[in-house]
Amino acid sequence: MFLIHCPYCDEDRPEIEFSYAGEAHIARPQNADAISDAEWSEYLFIRENKRGIHCERWWHTNGCNRFFNAVRNTVTDKFIMTYEMGEPRPTPEEIEAARDDD
Amino acid sequence: MLVDQGLEIGDTLSDGCLTVLLVSERTRYSLRIKAEDLTAFNLESGLGLPERIGQSSLTEARMQLCLGPDEWLIVTQPDLDKGLGAQLKRLSDSFIFSFTDISHRNIALTVQGSEAVAAINIGCPLDLSPEHFPVGKVTRTVFENAPIMLLRTGEDVFHLECWRSYGPYVTGLFARYAKDIEMS
Ligand SMILES: [Zn+2]
Repeated sequence: MFLIHCPYCDEDRPEIEFSYAGEAHIARPQNADAISDAEWSEYLFIRENKRGIHCERWWHTNGCNRFFNAVRNTVTDKFIMTYEMGEPRPTPEEIEAARDDD
Repeated sequence: MLVDQGLEIGDTLSDGCLTVLLVSERTRYSLRIKAEDLTAFNLESGLGLPERIGQSSLTEARMQLCLGPDEWLIVTQPDLDKGLGAQLKRLSDSFIFSFTDISHRNIALTVQGSEAVAAINIGCPLDLSPEHFPVGKVTRTVFENAPIMLLRTGEDVFHLECWRSYGPYVTGLFARYAKDIEMS
């Protein structure tokens, strides 16, 4: 079974309890009325769609009901780490240290 | 069929290895309060809410279940446990929290017997071995396509809640499983 570590429950839980919620660390522009339509659409729609190490949001829908962030390798589908909302994006060194040979 | 308090599912459970009972109506409150206020809130209220996700505090009259970092479900026996609403109303002067009566959202089943774990695991992917899911542990999870809340109250006894509208679906799955056991 595919397990995901929820940082709030602090447990490995079955993937079926979770929902994917898109790329992480996308900040909503604070000056929405001042920016152009192109910039706004960039915020709304444009994503990295990365092949490889990807920071993304997950939601423990049928568990603690919390959103959290994860680093996942989109090639192997392996989760490298998960962390609570509000924590900064892990540095490349931190990600590399947490990686086993995926 | 499982339509009334204390009735067993169907008539397939003669040897006692699996019993599924519909729990009589309970009063349920959803309590949300910031985790950092919990210690002071417990001190002032005397409720003794559990502090970690997955923990419960259980008495005959009341179950207090920590479901999220800032979320508790309190399930009470209406005739044994009165006055919680009034008690918490007094605390609303000193703390910011939400306290919502959601009694009718859920139904509850008691699933018990030596086949209880196997029966729940037909639709629930959690590891229910006692090391991973000891007595007193509670969590939301899934049972087939229904979101449920699962609490272990004894080695072979579980308290399972689901939304009322999922009731016939969830109980139907247990009834089918019970038939399978009987036939095998
Ligand atoms: Zn969780």
